[in-house]
Amino acid sequence: MALLSLTVSVLLTALVGAAPQSKNFIGAPETFHARAQVSTDTARGDVYVDIHVEKYTADKDREAVLSALQTGGEAAFVEAIRKAPVAGQIEIGKQTFAIRWAREVRDEKGRTITLVTEKPVYFIGAGLPGAKPRAGYDVAVVQLKMDTAGIGEGVMAAAAKVKPGEPTGVQVDDYGSEPIKLLSVTRKIQ
Amino acid sequence: MLTRVLTVSLCVAASVALAAQSSRNTAPESFRVNGQITDTAGGVAATMTLQIDKYTPDDQHQTIVNALKAGNNQAFLDVLRKAPVVGALKMNDRSVPIRWARQQPQGGNRRIAVMTESPVFFFGAGAVDAKPTAGYDVGVLEFTIDSVGLGKGTMAAAAKVKPGGPTGIEVEDYSGKRIELTTVTRNPS
Repeated sequence: MALLSLTVSVLLTALVGAAPQSKNFIGAPETFHARAQVSTDTARGDVYVDIHVEKYTADKDREAVLSALQTGGEAAFVEAIRKAPVAGQIEIGKQTFAIRWAREVRDEKGRTITLVTEKPVYFIGAGLPGAKPRAGYDVAVVQLKMDTAGIGEGVMAAAAKVKPGEPTGVQVDDYGSEPIKLLSVTRKIQ
Repeated sequence: MLTRVLTVSLCVAASVALAAQSSRNTAPESFRVNGQITDTAGGVAATMTLQIDKYTPDDQHQTIVNALKAGNNQAFLDVLRKAPVVGALKMNDRSVPIRWARQQPQGGNRRIAVMTESPVFFFGAGAVDAKPTAGYDVGVLEFTIDSVGLGKGTMAAAAKVKPGGPTGIEVEDYSGKRIELTTVTRNPS
């Protein structure tokens, strides 16, 4: 399985250029429900996912993670992420995964939300005999694009390696050959 | 993840009650197989093609059964993997050789079982806390097909085959849960 490198520009935006969170924006705590789907020509998997953001990552924590990534690379990034305060959790079935990074960026169409978990969620393709090693894929990265009505879509690199890279400064390598699609994402009404 | 021990009655039927293969041995033949596995959080569905070039003759079958019943798993695998290839299970661009295939009349239907020389897929192995895959060395499919060419069955995509249980042979699946073969369709010759 080929390794697909995904560049998530919004992550860079969140890391580097995120504006301060607006006090007027409907933000955390909030919960999203989504259907995660991964498919090939001959197989398809679907699973329901609940994402709860308790609070968005504060600027000082963002700076610490960004600095770690830029100066120490992926290992330092993972260490910094795991030291950051818990910002929420992702629930899949009976399993929960702590979110250590949660940022939102607003634009005229809504919001782009980027989340990073403290550990990988799932290694897509690892069930194949002879699957590649998992080492280094230490987190999961989720990106949601939500409109102003609270409906959207997204992608998830369920086991990801985050490292410095061009052209945006941040590169996300996904263990799976394709990112998982997050379909029918809805913000739960509180 | 809990592992459930599954008993494959067909295997013992094939090993013990193989009075004779049906005189209507229909190989070579192929089947389109739709499999699915679900739990409360979601599910996976896949389409496969099962090609059976010939069914394993009695003497080769007996050699494999004897090796299995002797209780030495590695010896069993060695015998299985030295047996002639009798077909293949194909998924997308993958093809897993089949080293054992048997059929048995069952009323107006046929009961068919096949074993691949290696595991097809380790369901659940992508979990962070997945258990080791060692020892799950083959894949097993069994299904019933009617005279029209339609049927259903189950599949252990990564299985440990061993002697034991009430029927004499047990198939333990890696995932602890079998894939349901919801539709099996015999392809036109």
